[in-house]
Amino acid sequence: MAKKISDSINRVDGSDKISGRAKYISDVYFKNQYYARTLRSEIAKGRILSIDFPEIPENYFVIDKDDIPGLNQMRTVISDNPIFADNEVNYIGQPILLVVGPDREIIAEIIDQIEVTYQKEKPILTLEEAEQKASLFSDFDYSKGDVENAFNNASQIITDQYETGFQEHIYIEPQGITAVHRDNKMFVFGSMQCPFYIQGALEDVLCWPEDRLRVIHTTTGGAFGGKEEFPSMIACQAAVAALKTGHPVKIIYDRDEDIIASTKRHPSLVKYKAALDKNNKVSALEINVKFNAGAYSGISPVVLERGIFSAANVYNFPNVKVNGKNYQTNSVPCGAFRGFGAPQTIFSMEMFMHNLARKLGQDPLKFKKKHLIKRGDTTSTGGTMHGQVKMPEIIEKITKMSNYEEKFNNLSENRGIGISLFIHGCGFTGDGENNIKGKITLEKKGEQAIVKVSSTDMGQGAETSLRKIVSYTLEIPMEKVIYKKVDTGKVPDSGPTVASRTVMIVGGLLRSAALEMKEKWKQKQSMEISKIYAHPDYLKWDNDTYQGDAYPIYSFGANVVEVEVDPITLELDIQNLYAVYDVGTVIDEKGLRGQMEGGIVQGLGWATTEVMETNQGQLMQSSMTDYKIPTIKDVPEIECDFVTNPYEFGPFGAKCAGELPFNGPAPALAAAVSHALSVPIKKIPLRPENLLKEIKNEN
Amino acid sequence: MVKGYRPDSLQEALEIKSDHATSIIAGGTDLMVQKARGTGLKPGLKNNPLFISHLPELRKFETSDKFIRIGACLTLSELVEKGELPTPLLNAIDEIASIPLRNIATMGGNICNASPAGDTLPYLYAADARLLLQSIHEERVITLDEFIYGPGQITLESGEILTDIIIDNKAYDFNFYKKVGTSKGMALSKLSFTGLVNFDGDKISEFRAAFGAVGPTVVHSPKIEDKVTGIKIENLSDIAPEIENEYRKIISPIDDSRSTREYRLETSLRIFHNFLEEISNY
Amino acid sequence: MKIEFEINNTQKILEVDPARRLLDILREDLDLTSVKEGCGQGECGACMVLMDDKAVNSCLIPAGNVHGKNITTVEGLRSTEQYKTIEQAFLDAGSVQCGFCTPGMVISAEALLRKNPDPDEDEIKEALEGNLCRCTGYNMIIEGVKLAAERGQGLW
Repeated sequence: MAKKISDSINRVDGSDKISGRAKYISDVYFKNQYYARTLRSEIAKGRILSIDFPEIPENYFVIDKDDIPGLNQMRTVISDNPIFADNEVNYIGQPILLVVGPDREIIAEIIDQIEVTYQKEKPILTLEEAEQKASLFSDFDYSKGDVENAFNNASQIITDQYETGFQEHIYIEPQGITAVHRDNKMFVFGSMQCPFYIQGALEDVLCWPEDRLRVIHTTTGGAFGGKEEFPSMIACQAAVAALKTGHPVKIIYDRDEDIIASTKRHPSLVKYKAALDKNNKVSALEINVKFNAGAYSGISPVVLERGIFSAANVYNFPNVKVNGKNYQTNSVPCGAFRGFGAPQTIFSMEMFMHNLARKLGQDPLKFKKKHLIKRGDTTSTGGTMHGQVKMPEIIEKITKMSNYEEKFNNLSENRGIGISLFIHGCGFTGDGENNIKGKITLEKKGEQAIVKVSSTDMGQGAETSLRKIVSYTLEIPMEKVIYKKVDTGKVPDSGPTVASRTVMIVGGLLRSAALEMKEKWKQKQSMEISKIYAHPDYLKWDNDTYQGDAYPIYSFGANVVEVEVDPITLELDIQNLYAVYDVGTVIDEKGLRGQMEGGIVQGLGWATTEVMETNQGQLMQSSMTDYKIPTIKDVPEIECDFVTNPYEFGPFGAKCAGELPFNGPAPALAAAVSHALSVPIKKIPLRPENLLKEIKNEN
Repeated sequence: MVKGYRPDSLQEALEIKSDHATSIIAGGTDLMVQKARGTGLKPGLKNNPLFISHLPELRKFETSDKFIRIGACLTLSELVEKGELPTPLLNAIDEIASIPLRNIATMGGNICNASPAGDTLPYLYAADARLLLQSIHEERVITLDEFIYGPGQITLESGEILTDIIIDNKAYDFNFYKKVGTSKGMALSKLSFTGLVNFDGDKISEFRAAFGAVGPTVVHSPKIEDKVTGIKIENLSDIAPEIENEYRKIISPIDDSRSTREYRLETSLRIFHNFLEEISNY
Repeated sequence: MKIEFEINNTQKILEVDPARRLLDILREDLDLTSVKEGCGQGECGACMVLMDDKAVNSCLIPAGNVHGKNITTVEGLRSTEQYKTIEQAFLDAGSVQCGFCTPGMVISAEALLRKNPDPDEDEIKEALEGNLCRCTGYNMIIEGVKLAAERGQGLW
């Protein structure tokens, strides 16, 4: 057969989705199901003094903290977010109780009549306030070399700071879960990335063992990290309700509710202090990363970790001192979102280098190239850059593709061109993978191979890619490779579908199992091979000191963006975007292009129209009318290419790909706008409103 | 269950409206969003709905030498298809939302919703559009200034329905329309400007300017417009700063979820300045 | 209120609340779940259906305005050559990822091609302006529509 792995095939679930046959959780009805609606806090901080209920009709129930058999907490990295508010509330939108029953009109009437009396307390609403009050969740440091010495010997010291804003996932399918108590088990169905995370959360809340909990993935209409840890909250609420009412309980979020109540990307403030040596090269950097984590810590410590481990981006600075802090504010808790902390620190680093170059009168690209990391260099966490770093080839390819040099020097007024270089660490941060010990099982049954993994398809094409890896290794047709439905009762825990690990880690295990199976294929009618992931031996990591190899391998990329700025309105017209990536090998060109372009457009949205502000703890943009994601008219011409750089331990040489494309567009666009307007850009989103201020300041 | 009225004629609709408290639904694109309560729930209308978008009397389109009479319930798509509207009005309609929305939204609804950001409004103000309001016993014709007195606030009497919009069948020598939206597609207006000019030889014989989304209602001033009327084109740049300053005083935008006061004010005036420049270069 | 309308080539008479959204009538009363709810505010287009040949957001249409209309959802198109052309084109062009926006895209594409069987890129963008996608970045969807138009010469 010897087909090329990267040659495109059609995705396996396409026809069902196009025809409308695919069932998402909101399309599924259970017999005697009840609906539920959540009553949420209207204040940013305070105590609940009392709750007054109207007469509750028969068959209607109120579910609150007192109905929880086990722990009132949502299990994740830090399990501090309660399933139902205890006596205090810490953000507008925090869930207090559910009203559950057969008719949604009656549920709505009941909710309207419930009166909560609060004792308001003074909320902390901004990063600045949180800093002043030392309202802190996490404080992490690491360093390399001798930063103090370098500052003492510096020719120049430069300080600078950068800001990024909230972002909401706006998966087109809102959050949804249905819990069914049946046969002494709790079944939870829904839109999710990580069924085993939900199973773990249910263990805490119901106090039931694993074998009584079954979590089953239904077709998921987009996630981007927003359905990584957050669905555990809804699942636990629905499960408690199912337990109490004796009926299946279906919770589907309204869009406005989803925007207000679900997790967001962490807003950030990153400060730099740089020492320049006599050659105007950066000899030392002190980087202070501040994230607004919202009201509860949740998964934020790991987001901060990735943020700080990505802080040096593609550069090798001899002396680095990085501090990261997650601040607690009384706003919606922030969580996982494509890039997971890296986009914030990478945007800031790229614009820092760009603006520093401008300040020194140097070409930004040339300046960046002087600092690039190479194979064998020590990383900022004292590990080694294993694997070839193909940044020079990527840069050559993209500058040629985009005609960058000529345009940079010759563009007409109001037009600009910008370049960004970026990285993404593959797989779980630090010792995450070794802790998870992801497991896969590949089963031969006659002429079929059955894939049993916990990786879920949320649109990114996991099912297609993983089946393809097995199909091409065993050299059997795709139709003979079956993907077992992701049900915690039926598949092993391969780890969560996050961190761009699905192809590299889970696919890598499947490849290894398939290779083994291939040797015995003809001899055995049936067999089962399981594999458990462990990092290659040469990797070192100390989680207490943050020293060593933060990631086993990295993927790299570059973006070039051309923009025209309307001189009157300061609206941006993004004209072309060029992208070159090194993801090891391409598992499917069409599938990968879809991920790249989707990540690019989402990254452009973060940088431009996705404005999310808060006023007194209230989200100002809380509907899709006001929170604008890119439409088909907002998208530029996109040209993508790849360089090959196979990774020994990835299937067919593949590294990570899903989040990488998100990291590039924002800094490339900001650099282009900076070029067009001849002002430094230090903040996204690039609203015309903010650009007007920048121009006024400059004048 | 709530009672809904779906009359067969305008006469019937007016009778229902005079006898009962009803919520008029034309296309529904504003109401169904404003009153939405969630999946499976009926919208929270104040009164029983009275459906009118199908009534033939409200869907007429008549042109004469002097006037164009636009039925209040013609959809925006239908209006664009007719192609017989003045260019700046067509441009404004064409940039509203998206095709699917224009397939059900109506000009009557856009007017009665009276949003400060309503996209058909600036042209209608600038072009002295008149509104025909009918009730069982009478009809009256009023201007937009008389009809809209604040955001969402209209002087519609309890028995009345807006049936037609009447505009002059007139083309202007020079027209200018610019909308700054929240994104390139499906854009809600942060601000907009409509400018209409007629020339007589080397003089400006008619001058109209209307600013949208920068005040509780459309901002326009016949008084300021009179200062430009009669001026020689070559002298326009001399009085431009004074005129711009006059508008600066009456443009009163706010900070909201879509934009800021500062941006709306500055950008409106920059656009207006550009408009004056283009007239000078005509 | 009693309403009478045509849905996917079938006459239907229903007694419904006059303001009940067409979206809920289709999804819940008639089990036509290809029509999705993404926002309930006419912003995302996942609820797109054909009404008298035109693409409309079904979340914005009250029952009283459905009376006398001809409604088509993807379920009603599936057996047509036109739909099969669109489906294969979308598959080959990689126009689908999570799929939640896709039935709405199919409806808008069908509405476009019925009116204009040979659209250029700007016309495709105009027709799909009201359909939001968060996964694909849109260019692969535009290519899918173009491919359908190319392959479907003479169908529309």
